Amino acid sequence: MQKQIASENFAALLQALIDAGTRVVGPKRVAGTLLYEPLTAPDELVLDELPRRSVKEAFFPVCEDLLTYEKQGQEVQVQDVDPARFPDTVLVGVRPCDAAAIPVLDAVFSWDYKDQFFLERRARTTIVGLACTTADDACFCTAVGLAPDEPRGADLLLTPLVGGGYLAESHSEKGEALLQTHADLFSEPGIDQPLGLAEPQTTPFDLKKIKAWLDEHFEDQAWDGIATRCVGCGACAFVCPACHCFDIVDEGTEKSGKRRKFWDACGFWKFTHHASGHNPRDFQPKRYRNRIMHKFKYYDDKFGQTLCTGCGRCVRLCPVGIDIAGVLEEIEKKAND
Amino acid sequence: MQHTKQKHAFEPKIIAFVCTWCTYAGADLAGTSRMQYPANVRVVKFPCTGRIDPVFILKAFQQGADGVLVSGCHPGDCHYMAGNFHARRRFAAFRKLLEFIGVDLKRLQFSWVSAAEAGKWVEVVTELTERVRALGPMQEFKALALEEQWSGKLDTAELQEAYEAI
Amino acid sequence: MTTETIYNAVGEAIRIEAGRILSDGTVTAVVGYAAARRNGSAQPVVITKPDDAARLIFSAACVNNLAVYLTKAKKELPREGRIGIVVKGCDLKALVGLLGESQLKREELYIIGVPCAGVLGSTLQPSVELDAESIADKCRECDDRMPQGSDFVPLVELPEQPALDKKYAAEIARLEALTPAERWAYWQQQFSKCIKCYACRQVCPFCFCEQCLCDRNKPQMVEGTPRPAGNTAWHIVRAMHLAGRCAGCAECERVCPMDIPLNLLNRKMARELKELFQSEAGFEVREKGPLATFSETDDESFIK
Repeated sequence: MQKQIASENFAALLQALIDAGTRVVGPKRVAGTLLYEPLTAPDELVLDELPRRSVKEAFFPVCEDLLTYEKQGQEVQVQDVDPARFPDTVLVGVRPCDAAAIPVLDAVFSWDYKDQFFLERRARTTIVGLACTTADDACFCTAVGLAPDEPRGADLLLTPLVGGGYLAESHSEKGEALLQTHADLFSEPGIDQPLGLAEPQTTPFDLKKIKAWLDEHFEDQAWDGIATRCVGCGACAFVCPACHCFDIVDEGTEKSGKRRKFWDACGFWKFTHHASGHNPRDFQPKRYRNRIMHKFKYYDDKFGQTLCTGCGRCVRLCPVGIDIAGVLEEIEKKAND
Repeated sequence: MQHTKQKHAFEPKIIAFVCTWCTYAGADLAGTSRMQYPANVRVVKFPCTGRIDPVFILKAFQQGADGVLVSGCHPGDCHYMAGNFHARRRFAAFRKLLEFIGVDLKRLQFSWVSAAEAGKWVEVVTELTERVRALGPMQEFKALALEEQWSGKLDTAELQEAYEAI
Repeated sequence: MTTETIYNAVGEAIRIEAGRILSDGTVTAVVGYAAARRNGSAQPVVITKPDDAARLIFSAACVNNLAVYLTKAKKELPREGRIGIVVKGCDLKALVGLLGESQLKREELYIIGVPCAGVLGSTLQPSVELDAESIADKCRECDDRMPQGSDFVPLVELPEQPALDKKYAAEIARLEALTPAERWAYWQQQFSKCIKCYACRQVCPFCFCEQCLCDRNKPQMVEGTPRPAGNTAWHIVRAMHLAGRCAGCAECERVCPMDIPLNLLNRKMARELKELFQSEAGFEVREKGPLATFSETDDESFIK
């Protein structure tokens, strides 16, 4: 269903949700940096920039407790975190490159092991997307088959209108429910035109051709040239809407502590370091190769999807200027030769 | 000197990192001389103050210490010749870092206590203990240990219990 | 002359020199900067063939400290024979430090020093013009525009250094004037953004330990999780491990995806060590930094 909502009504909607005790998460400045954070008031929302981190942390937290343990005498008491305690959440201001990654993540988190920590949060969260009217030269969502008004992943997609306000289109039951519950704040679409959408400049990639090259070139010399410069941090993986690797540790003493799950990255040297001391990905080009392989081959092999939405964060934030779109261009050129 | 045992509401936890050859011996002498001093201090023995990594001080505060004492041989008397000279420089720098981060330096004391200075040991420990008692429990690291990224935060009964247990 | 014109001339000189030293065998490789896909961007590159010298550039977007590629943390670099490296003044300070710590041998390096009028503070948008707003904070306090002791320096004259607000000094002074509780609150706000990506560590030429203390779990001195507690401990430990060694290249601050002002910690420690022990890193090759040595008359006013 398509409706319209004026700016003031959008703020009123957020206020109503906050008042009702729903956790409302949107782009907000934290110590000067724009991040998706819980809002306490609608005027905290900042919608003119892409947040530094993606919205995946609403489902896949930076760090979360899985269980607590306590030794009492000879017995160890273990208490699992109760998924029923995950708060009901509405995410707002979610860009299409962030929203589209969530259904992509659904595949791996409900695969051979149903990750309740992810799925319970997923069930309790409504995603209100926001179409993009500007892009920079790092954006390449259109090059990987998405668009600045891509509805995939959004329960309700807002498109900015000339003169303010938004067109609101529901794309799921949750989106419908939001429109119904707050029907008084929405109106029928009028004559206002949507603002022009962003136009990322990157030429679309032939992902099938790129994958075909990746299928055959695991041991190619090209990886050295591409990735010797990589210094092995986790910045790209952590800001990425689609990367989802994690580690689990116990923190505490032998008497009591917690088991925690937190973000990990294949760029780290420790990622494949075995207890024996052997490391199958002992040099950085092998680690970076895994990043490209996972995103553009393995995930396709397993789930028929690409693990990249073209948000451009890794391009902007890589300490050494590794440009994943540039890498794909290079691979596509090799595939064509 | 008679030590009157008072009942206090707050008993600070003081961790003392001391060197074996001077301060530990000095503390030992205070004990054999039956000198009374606050029982709040927990002594951790090192061969030399030069062995004390600043990260131990950090860990002590993180694990619930309200005050930390680092004590060793007087300059020139180090059992290992120069260990305390290195420590002196290291801690001059580290305390500036902690201060810049926002740790109250009144909770962190450094001292030279020789094997004969039982009285000085008693004086240093007593002064630090009472000073920290007046400052109250060190809340900063305790509160920090309970903070979570918003995405992983849960308002659970377990967390409240853990807070009380520290 | 605009900075762009100067840097173009520098780039040209680098290309010619790199081609020369690769052709005549002076070096087996040159670590420099090349253009990347985005307009105005630059990225580190390692070239081994004289023809590839044509790829080398210099611009305000050449922010990286290439010294990190010569440390033992980066095993990938070919290290037979001499290796050429393009360095700005701040990068050269790191090389000086590494030479002092026996991580590099002078005869293994061919240092191409770059006369530098400053680089961008952020490369989020690399095509931005270099001006008083976009210039890196470290450049405002630069004392090393013409790298001393290089093997080759392009003969390019730099315009006079404009007087710019020294942001680090001002911010450190501002923080020092706060109460401990206010400072704690400030740093907690900053560290709460940290996600332990370790970009700061990985770009630092002095973080070359084969296993970082903070990656060890037997014993575990610093929590590995990106919770605020673990983040605070991490940044304190790193600042302490860099004290007396940090060259002030401010790469840690630039690369932090969460905009944590890390160089404030390093600059504060550098200033303290200068005041306490009259020691400054990066100016001369010395075997022992201020914390690896001592004087019998060191300050002990804080010790009972």
